[in-house]
Amino acid sequence: MSRSDKPDQAFRLLQRSGVEQATQDLAPSLSSDRPVLEIQDLSIRLLLHRERTKSIREYVIRMLKRRRVERDEFWPIREVSFAVNGGERLGIIGPNGAGKSTLLKVIAGIIPPSVGRVVVRGRIAPLIELGAGFDPYLTGRENVFLYGSLLGFPQRELERRFDRIVKFAELEEFIDVPLMNYSVGMSTRLGFAIATDVEPDLLLLDEVFSVGDAAFKQKCEARMEGFKAEGVTILLVSHDMDLIRETCSRAVFLQHGRIVAIGPTDDVVAEYERFSGTSPSD
Amino acid sequence: METQPMKGILSLGRSIGPEGGVPQPGIYLAEHCSSGPLLTLFRYRELLRQLVIREVKLRYKRSVLGFAWTVLNPLFAMAIFTMVFSRIFGERPNYPLYVITALLGWNLFSLGTSRGLDSVVQNGPIIRKVFVPKAIFPVASVASQVVNFILSLLPLCLFMVAIGARFSPALLWLPIPLLSLTGFAMGIALLLGTFNVFFRDVRYFYEAGAMAWFYATPIFYPPEIIPDKFKFLLYINPMYPLLESLRAPLYRATAPPADLLILGLAISVVTLLLGWSVFHRFEGRFIHYV
Repeated sequence: MSRSDKPDQAFRLLQRSGVEQATQDLAPSLSSDRPVLEIQDLSIRLLLHRERTKSIREYVIRMLKRRRVERDEFWPIREVSFAVNGGERLGIIGPNGAGKSTLLKVIAGIIPPSVGRVVVRGRIAPLIELGAGFDPYLTGRENVFLYGSLLGFPQRELERRFDRIVKFAELEEFIDVPLMNYSVGMSTRLGFAIATDVEPDLLLLDEVFSVGDAAFKQKCEARMEGFKAEGVTILLVSHDMDLIRETCSRAVFLQHGRIVAIGPTDDVVAEYERFSGTSPSD
Repeated sequence: METQPMKGILSLGRSIGPEGGVPQPGIYLAEHCSSGPLLTLFRYRELLRQLVIREVKLRYKRSVLGFAWTVLNPLFAMAIFTMVFSRIFGERPNYPLYVITALLGWNLFSLGTSRGLDSVVQNGPIIRKVFVPKAIFPVASVASQVVNFILSLLPLCLFMVAIGARFSPALLWLPIPLLSLTGFAMGIALLLGTFNVFFRDVRYFYEAGAMAWFYATPIFYPPEIIPDKFKFLLYINPMYPLLESLRAPLYRATAPPADLLILGLAISVVTLLLGWSVFHRFEGRFIHYV
């Protein structure tokens, strides 16, 4: 029986073998010079034929046919290893379906690793999908607390930050209106305001800059500049090579779930552009 | 413990790395889930509170009578059972109270478990987008029914006053059977929530089963009327000791019988542990199925 996919047992395993002094090492102290993020031999496996099994009848039929059904494995991430130090900003680039977003989801703890190891030291702010868990029937105010608690913020912290969040989202007049009456822009603004009103150690960004009007975009960029200035570690997934060059000191080029190139941004971006045959301005 | 990567659900196939190399176990270590699943759940207690608030708040939004439905619903059911069965069981003193005390407990269980069954799949969009201890959803489903139960105790007391029922210090026993019932419901909700992720027809099996279960449990009839050859049904029915010990302080104004109380607690603990471990065993795979 393999139970080693469970984090707590893995912990015990590690503790026993003395490979890692698990919990203490994960304290959010950035003073230590250990990487904020470490990924070792990470692979993610999906079993495609099983994803479709939705009823017991189908399952029994599949069981009976088991011998004839070839296992249809798909590895969206294959043997990826890298580390990111505190204050570093890493860009993740690659064609569609390269596994960029999957990688961010693994780092955020949404998808468990099938093989390999992911260690995050510190607090993560995942700006992957803003406003996940927003309830359209609840008011803006209620959603601030629902979404905030979903991101793991304590109640007191949210109360303290509430006014600032609402002000940043420019929703003072509408905060007691149910979210279903919000425009897409309004709820994205609220999501962004809640998710970014934090002091993260590791910020995961998946092309969220394309929200709101020009004025709000500027505010978002200002906030990002703030994170940069504070030396927050950032992982940025984007197809905008200019943004990657501007933001990141280092970049990873993924293709078919594998690292093609990793290193200084300019070199990796050049490699990617040569690969995709596009002009640098794309 | 051998070092094998995660396996597919219920599959026995040996899995290896993408290149066929020697696999290492998949490990994820991060601050927000580093201290074991139970502590992680505790750390997200604020989310639990928010989910319960939402559930209680939204249920009756846009309804004229609002929260009153929580109370009216079992009252209607009680009235119907009283009208239909008072001829047969009418000689029982305070038959309506006899019915409603167990009915409230049954509602806690059946609503909590059936919502818990759906909860993981329903919150799929959240599970796919943020890290969250997934057990929080079935737990919240049951917890909001517990809140409903507690809120309906006040009107129940008014009802008891109205029909001249006896209040006694035995009421102080109430938290213990309530706790047992909650634990049992959470255990079942965790189990059903897990199964439903992989097989969406669990819901229909459960709905049919729950109906039979309701009639097999002495809720609107006294246990004595069960013929001897079916008496064994009582002893294999976990809801019998749970509801009977919940009913004792309210209806009989006595402490719950010690044997039923202890049996109820034991059932509750075992079910909760079973539900928790099954849920925890499979929750890593939920992401690919919700």
